[in-house]
Amino acid sequence: MGLDRVLHELEGALRPEQLIREPAELRTYECDGLTAHRVVPGLVVLAESTADVQAAVRACNVESVSFVARGAGTGLSGGAVPVADGIVISLTRMKRVLEVDIDAQRVTVQPGVTNLEVTAAVAAEGLYYAPDPSSQQVCTIGGNVAENAGGAHCLKYGFTANHVTGLKMVLPDGELAELGGKALDPDGPDLLGVLVGSEGTLGIATEITVRVIRRPEVVTTLLAAFDSTDAAGEAVSAIIAQGILPSAIEMMDRLMVEAVEQAVHAGYPQAGALLLVDLDGPAIQVEDDVVAVEEICRANGASELRSARSDAERALFWKGRKAAFAAMGRISPSYYVQDGVVPRTKLPAVLRRIRELEHEHGLRVGNVFHAGDGNLHPLVLYDDAVPGQAEQAQHMAKKILEACVDAGGSLTGEHGIGLDKACEMPLLFSEADLATMQRLRRSIDPKGLSNPGKVFPTPRLCGEVPGPYRMHPLEKAGLAQRF
Amino acid sequence: MRRATAEGLRVSIEREGGDVVISTSRLTRLLEHEPGDLTCIVEAGMRLSELQERLGRHDQALMLDPPGDPTIGACLAAGLSGPRRHRYGAVRDLVLGVTIVLGDGTVAHSGGRVVKNVAGYDLGKLFCGSRGRLGLIAAVALRLHPRPAAARSLSVATADAGEAQQLVQRALRSQLVPSAVDLLWPGRLLLLFEGGERAAAAQLQTAQALLAGREEDAGAWDELAERQAAARGRVWFDPGRLAEFLAETPEAVVRVAAGNAYVPNPVEHIWPPLAERVRAEFDPGGVLVA
Repeated sequence: MGLDRVLHELEGALRPEQLIREPAELRTYECDGLTAHRVVPGLVVLAESTADVQAAVRACNVESVSFVARGAGTGLSGGAVPVADGIVISLTRMKRVLEVDIDAQRVTVQPGVTNLEVTAAVAAEGLYYAPDPSSQQVCTIGGNVAENAGGAHCLKYGFTANHVTGLKMVLPDGELAELGGKALDPDGPDLLGVLVGSEGTLGIATEITVRVIRRPEVVTTLLAAFDSTDAAGEAVSAIIAQGILPSAIEMMDRLMVEAVEQAVHAGYPQAGALLLVDLDGPAIQVEDDVVAVEEICRANGASELRSARSDAERALFWKGRKAAFAAMGRISPSYYVQDGVVPRTKLPAVLRRIRELEHEHGLRVGNVFHAGDGNLHPLVLYDDAVPGQAEQAQHMAKKILEACVDAGGSLTGEHGIGLDKACEMPLLFSEADLATMQRLRRSIDPKGLSNPGKVFPTPRLCGEVPGPYRMHPLEKAGLAQRF
Repeated sequence: MRRATAEGLRVSIEREGGDVVISTSRLTRLLEHEPGDLTCIVEAGMRLSELQERLGRHDQALMLDPPGDPTIGACLAAGLSGPRRHRYGAVRDLVLGVTIVLGDGTVAHSGGRVVKNVAGYDLGKLFCGSRGRLGLIAAVALRLHPRPAAARSLSVATADAGEAQQLVQRALRSQLVPSAVDLLWPGRLLLLFEGGERAAAAQLQTAQALLAGREEDAGAWDELAERQAAARGRVWFDPGRLAEFLAETPEAVVRVAAGNAYVPNPVEHIWPPLAERVRAEFDPGGVLVA
């Protein structure tokens, strides 16, 4: 069988302890952060070099066996869920920082290096790597590249795709493609830009060059309490309209604030909605921005305004926000996290729709979102001990997603399509749109071996029509806190 | 496109070469502008100056400043950019979504109108720099920025490669946040500071203390734009080794932090094999003239 021949081939190329085939060990790779979907792979390869990755991919190519790349496995859309009778290529052993070039402000790393390790490599020089997904202590750059990871500060600083300047990519036929480097804006179509965010379907990155930037002179955090999410939303719009670009704007609704206060006692005021605004940059610009933002908040009815005066105070303001998901776990036995995006101006309307859905389904929703870019994370609370509630919650989560798309938004702001939302792609894209994207996939992965079954709907996965939303209880413990 | 495919004709977009030449000169509408979202959707034939004028009515702008007055479609297809690339990124960093037409007439959309979106492949990025060979760009969703209230500029004379590198490193390692840092080589380093009145003035003062030099007005950037427009070639270099690059480059407009430069003589560039594979799948009939 193909898999046996792949194993045989790799036994010749790799050391025995780089190959996992014991069923008990294989099961540790059966899912990622989306724990409902589990598939035990046929083999796991612990790659230690580009050559190892090439050997594995070549062997798969010869035998037409599928492969799925895996970093830390913290993804939330099932992108790293294995394919049955396929292999998993783990990149976690490839964790060297290969080059730090301070003059050029570039760092080159292997894909298993964690997001925070990139910053650690340049921190002493006052530089940092800007994309900051909440799992940054454990998630890997390889994974960030696959998902085009963002984070709380991506409103101002952009995503992984805006920071990757070079890639060495093992293509699905085993060939190595080298794209970009340290210089920006290469000639020709932006292959780098389309490979970042391709969710492992176009090959495996084995060397990644990113740009790092200067830490801002000053960072300050403001906390503002409002009576309603509408009022807070108006304030956000006014801040943006005035030409101020905060580095982060986070909003939490009443339910979320209450849960958080119970959990971590960050000292949040009672509020219908709470805004956390980060402002950074040169000292004088930030001074002026703080005055302007405070004025806008007051003009929109802020009942309380606080400005952090020290790093310790800043950390305290953010403590509550970072504890949001964990806090919900205390007031509800279970919850679903949804990831949707709406144009900022449509946030009030979508939040109203979520309130309607709460009444229709009898389940509560706590909302936390990156208000600056319209990226929502509604947490649908339910009790899995009550028969039928889990299904109600998942149905509600899907309705919320539909509301986002109807409002001109998207299916996902951060977590990716993966397995989780592949069947919902037709909500956003026509057949012609999907077929055009498939042209790209065919040109790079004609045999369809690289992470198949992800991103695009297939009849096998979805049935003949986009099917009912599938079970996905959220893992609560997780490997890291999640925003 | 469909007719060309059916009749075996070849198509060129916005330039001579094909049996059929497609012009976007009538695709000039601003389809949507949401000031509250800092996004707009525009047809590819609109000129940059016209878009800026319309956006300016809401104190917003597209942070793209290539020389001349290209259409939005040309900005994407040719990957055009100017000095503000330093702070705001190239056109591919500002594209949120596209509507494209392939050689066989297929109309497709990718991306969306929201700033944050990771659904599906980012074909908008793929089409940046594609020079009309993957398909026609019909409409583009763009990320906008507030128009800065004030702008101040500084120029520092330099004709020595080592000195130029030192000046640039000093600037980049400081707390300055310039919108642009360009080297008119040989001759001078130009920096642009934008923001609130007070903030821009403070940045200029800090820069002067750090680098010496003298204040310039907008005319300095006009001269740079002319030099960039006159350049016939583009080259790339390691941004950490500016002095080495300058030592072997008699004349250039240099985007120092980005590691690219515009030089007088044409430089040939061919697409990497992977790009050709993609092109073959997007235009299997070879309808679009290379």
